[in-house]
Amino acid sequence: MIAISRLQVDYGRHQEPVLKGINTALDQKSLILGPNGSGKTTLFRAICGLTNVSSGEILIDGKKMGDIYATIGLVSANFEEVYTLLMTDCQNLISLYMDLVDGDAGVAYDISRDLGLERDFLKKRRINELSAGQRKIVCTAMALASKANHVLLDEPFEQLDPAKKGKLTKHLDSYRGLVILNTHETWLLRSLQDWLVFFMFERLMYGPVSVNDLLKAEISFSEEPDAVLNFRVSGKPVSICKGIGNRPLLTSLENLDRIYELAESEMK
Amino acid sequence: MTKYLWMNLRSLLTNPYLLFWSIAFVEFWVFMWVYVFGTGIPNVEAAVLGYCATAFGPIVILSISSAASGIAMTILYASKSVRYITKYTKLSPSRFLAENLLSSVLALLVISGVMFVSLLGVFSSKFGLTPLPKAPIGLSLIILLAALFEYLLSLFLSLLLVYLRAPRAASFISFVPLVLGFLPYISLWINFGSAVYVSPFNCIASLCYYYYSGDIPPTGGFFMPGANTLVDVNLASVSLVGWLIALILIDVYLLSKMRGVGMEEVRII
Repeated sequence: MIAISRLQVDYGRHQEPVLKGINTALDQKSLILGPNGSGKTTLFRAICGLTNVSSGEILIDGKKMGDIYATIGLVSANFEEVYTLLMTDCQNLISLYMDLVDGDAGVAYDISRDLGLERDFLKKRRINELSAGQRKIVCTAMALASKANHVLLDEPFEQLDPAKKGKLTKHLDSYRGLVILNTHETWLLRSLQDWLVFFMFERLMYGPVSVNDLLKAEISFSEEPDAVLNFRVSGKPVSICKGIGNRPLLTSLENLDRIYELAESEMK
Repeated sequence: MTKYLWMNLRSLLTNPYLLFWSIAFVEFWVFMWVYVFGTGIPNVEAAVLGYCATAFGPIVILSISSAASGIAMTILYASKSVRYITKYTKLSPSRFLAENLLSSVLALLVISGVMFVSLLGVFSSKFGLTPLPKAPIGLSLIILLAALFEYLLSLFLSLLLVYLRAPRAASFISFVPLVLGFLPYISLWINFGSAVYVSPFNCIASLCYYYYSGDIPPTGGFFMPGANTLVDVNLASVSLVGWLIALILIDVYLLSKMRGVGMEEVRII
């Protein structure tokens, strides 16, 4: 379990915090949905130790994140910068990282192949020679092959075609550990019905809510007494509530950046 | 040990830029030493040995200084992932440092060995003699200390960039070892006097000459007429060891200043 309390992250004294006091516990497979710039990636970077935490605490399986050293099987992630220890081809990089975490290189190759990257192709190219989508595939495959208790996946569906998105979803759903992924794509909800969902808006985190509750949920731009979740965007109240049939379905938005457009049109 | 040690070693020894600057570029100087500067050297064993000993120090320093520039860049490249790696993989901060040091020093020793064999080969071809070192164990020890010094210098420069948050200066800073590596060359024409003990590069070159030829080298001006003062070999050794200790202390200080927790903090923002 990853327990987070009062987590605040600032990039500069005079800048607005990137995370504004996050309190949450991640103990089931979860999706973190939120528009661009809401703080999803920063939250993952803080858990990985890649971003300085200004205040608050992160506990991973009961251990303080700051006190964790050389512990395998706890956390893995698909950030590209994690996989820049050596300038070498992707096959060597997979071999190196799987050795460092006692992971399964075969799983990394299986996932990569499923997503269109053969081993021979990886053997000939360094990670910086791949396209953005291919880099994401290799990093996600290595994260899932590490057999960690917590796998943090930052936008793993980015730049994948629909068929590959479906294949990757199956890998995520069948993973034995805890997968926590962030995205702003809401279509995923239909494929991951046993998962929990958290929302991030304007550097704050809300939830969890079960996917089943969200599949029929509608968005209202006023305070609703029967809301599953209430939050504010651009100072306007937003409620995600059980459907009554006359409001936009959450799953019809495709991505949550649309909430801002809808909020603005409501304000007019 | 993890695969990182061997893969880093292999990565360094197959890096075309590193190999070009540390071997191919320095080979040019080997040929210059033998076929251009060495035209007036008589084909006598003592003269050839003395001349080879004079060439060996500057050639090896130039070679491993070029390699150190490449190593500084690889440390900077790796620094992006170090904080994560030292938390969630087998590589603890100290283990990462140990494996990085060992693989880098091994790479520098291999490159030094290649330059030694190359120098001997070209000298043999020109003079028909193979000027082997008089004190090979002492010479090997100095080469080991030189490799360690170059690694610590590379680490210092990389840490300085991270500490100052100045990754854009990486290309410029990484060339510092290569530029300083020319100091022993300058001393061939200019007598550094007591200043020779301040420059670790000149101390290494002097000690290489001493263990290669068995004679005490001058403090500079090898190719200039007139009497020169001789190097105090003990003082040069103390100076080199002092530089090593100073660099270790500075590196440790810079590591500790990375917000007080050590190597896991080393990364480029």
